Amino acid sequence: MLRDWRLRFVAPAILALAMVVFLPTGYLFWMSVTHWVVTDPDIYFAGIDNFSGLIDTHDFWNAWRVTLAYLTLSSALMLALSLGLALCLAEARSARVLRVLVVMPLVIPPVVAGFTWRFLLNSEMGFIGAFLLPSIGVRTSMLADPVGALFSVVIADVWSRTPFMFLIFLAALQGIPKDYYEAARVDGAGVVQEFHFITLPMLKGAIVMALLFRVIDAINTFELIYVMTKGGPGRATQTLSLFGWKVAFQGFDLGRSAALGVMMLAITLICAMIVFNRFLKVRE
Amino acid sequence: MTVAAVTKRNLIAMAVGLAMTAAASAQTEVNIVAFAPGFAWANLFGPSGTEKTEELLAFEKKEGITVNMEYADEETARQKVLLDLVNGTGRYDLVMLGSDGAVQTYSYAGYLEPLDGYLDQAKDYFDPSGVYPQFLDANRVNGKLWALPYYSFGAGVIYRKDIFDKYGITEFPKTTEELEKALQTVKEGFAKDGVTNISVLTMRGAPGEEPSLDLAGFVYAFAGFPAWFEGGAVTPEEIKANKAKPIFTGAFRDGFETFVRWSREFGPPGIATHTWVDMMNIYGQGKAVVLMPSAINGFAALGGTENKDVKEHTAFAASPVGPSGKPIQSFWTFSVGISKFSKDKEAAYKVLAFLTGKQSMEAFASQIGWPYNTFPEITHGPVLSAKWPKETLDTVEESYETADPHYFPYIPELNEFMDRIGTAASEAISGGATVDEVLANLQTWAEDRMTRAGYYK
Repeated sequence: MLRDWRLRFVAPAILALAMVVFLPTGYLFWMSVTHWVVTDPDIYFAGIDNFSGLIDTHDFWNAWRVTLAYLTLSSALMLALSLGLALCLAEARSARVLRVLVVMPLVIPPVVAGFTWRFLLNSEMGFIGAFLLPSIGVRTSMLADPVGALFSVVIADVWSRTPFMFLIFLAALQGIPKDYYEAARVDGAGVVQEFHFITLPMLKGAIVMALLFRVIDAINTFELIYVMTKGGPGRATQTLSLFGWKVAFQGFDLGRSAALGVMMLAITLICAMIVFNRFLKVRE
Repeated sequence: MTVAAVTKRNLIAMAVGLAMTAAASAQTEVNIVAFAPGFAWANLFGPSGTEKTEELLAFEKKEGITVNMEYADEETARQKVLLDLVNGTGRYDLVMLGSDGAVQTYSYAGYLEPLDGYLDQAKDYFDPSGVYPQFLDANRVNGKLWALPYYSFGAGVIYRKDIFDKYGITEFPKTTEELEKALQTVKEGFAKDGVTNISVLTMRGAPGEEPSLDLAGFVYAFAGFPAWFEGGAVTPEEIKANKAKPIFTGAFRDGFETFVRWSREFGPPGIATHTWVDMMNIYGQGKAVVLMPSAINGFAALGGTENKDVKEHTAFAASPVGPSGKPIQSFWTFSVGISKFSKDKEAAYKVLAFLTGKQSMEAFASQIGWPYNTFPEITHGPVLSAKWPKETLDTVEESYETADPHYFPYIPELNEFMDRIGTAASEAISGGATVDEVLANLQTWAEDRMTRAGYYK
């Protein structure tokens, strides 16, 4: 195989990729089938015990539910907001400054974003939590209420990640030929019809890609939620990634934590396949 | 002189230089990981945690040991300790621990070096006979000592005497029943006077292990023993011998329920997310009347507050006694232990003795000024006596003497239990579930966990 001169050029990159991706992934798979608990001196092959043990726990299903709620809410809001912003800001030259402002949250690290929103929502001294919300009669601490906390991390995530989706849609919109819209107008199509019959079908590929990135991101989101709520109050915002962290660093069960990592990888791949198959088939 | 001679001379000079460098770098190095730069050992590593003060340099020169400190935030430091010990890399000779889980877990796992055999060494730095025995006991597992205490504390209450006086409570309540009545009186007084920006009580209810140290103290005061396992079993041997099952839906309940109820009825709206930092800030801003039972956070608030009323009218009281006749506990040591994988444990112990010895604790008293210290001599010494009334220092000291450092079980799984219990409390405080629901879940989890760990074979 390496007689092919092109492969020889690519080989170093593949080797590097193998070391930083495939080796750790392989190690993860090995750990997931190993009984490795810090409090237990015995380390041994455990088969599927780690997986079945996780599925048997109330915490796993709670984390799964929270992750699903978080993913669905944030993706829906993000899709609507980013598409709306992209449609509004795609053409007008005067919107250049606005486009920069929309993209700004993207350069702020998620940890910083999390801290910022946590302080904003703080019910003792935050601008939103201590002044804005009480002024309209809301005296509950958002981050200390199970529903409020989930809603808060969703809002923070939407604020932080919408610019990325916005950029995808903006680029896709600018790639749609203007002739289509001119022809539609000549035929008497209105704005809504233009959006339904031209814009949306032409954006389908971009929507698929944006949703795919969003699903992967949402399942793996850790730092924003950790900084804002640490999965609380209680377990109200404890997603799969936070649950996995707890199993490893509080429960010291490295085998189970690795098993959860493998399950999250599988969930991400399945979601990606569903998104690709469903949306790209329709497009064909 | 010929070129060859000059070259030969240069080569010899280079070889000597290299040999000297090698000799210098052969000086023993002791690596430490801890948290709180500028607070922990500020006398040695400066306010930034990245310097080496004259005091530290003098120690290094005298002992021929280079001390390398790595600071991180608490959670990160704990994770670094875990990963280093689990993988046996020996990167850190001294590791930061705590008497509420890490000492227990890592000693049982065989990752720490027992210290009893070292105590006779380096006595000019650390003399165990000069330390409150309770702080050493907190770091004993199965009779062996696994870590030495740095800053440590016992239970107590910090409160606003002016507000208590205003509502007719002239003496701080001595029992939990009396205290609950007092809290209710203040709450009703606030409602009548239209005070809405001050909470009656501040405690910590964040998910995770945060509330558990204090919550376990409530359980102890209400049940009269560490009511986690049947018969009050606190060691793996006792649990296995008696096949003692968890009793979270039994004797554990009363103290847990009181902690949750007081948090919901008397605490600020966000208490289900509050850490010790929030406790400290809320009290320091004058937004809470009572801070308990980890009063050390109140003293931390006093050190940073600009609020005149808080500074002038704060008083300290002993932790109230529960229905069992025992006080609410809150007892903890910031401990440091020697990694089993350290390449020079003798040198590591010397540094450990220096870090936790009288000299370091005197510096802690001078720089931080809290009335808590591991040495009785320093507690009643000139620095703290100049700052605090004798009554306060005596009450603080009494909190150590009446403490039962083992007021929760000393089992390898303690860290996980602390995390679970704290999260359950946070869930109940937030209203996400009732006390009985969270305790039922906790009971189910605990039984499964202990069964999986082989306790009931």
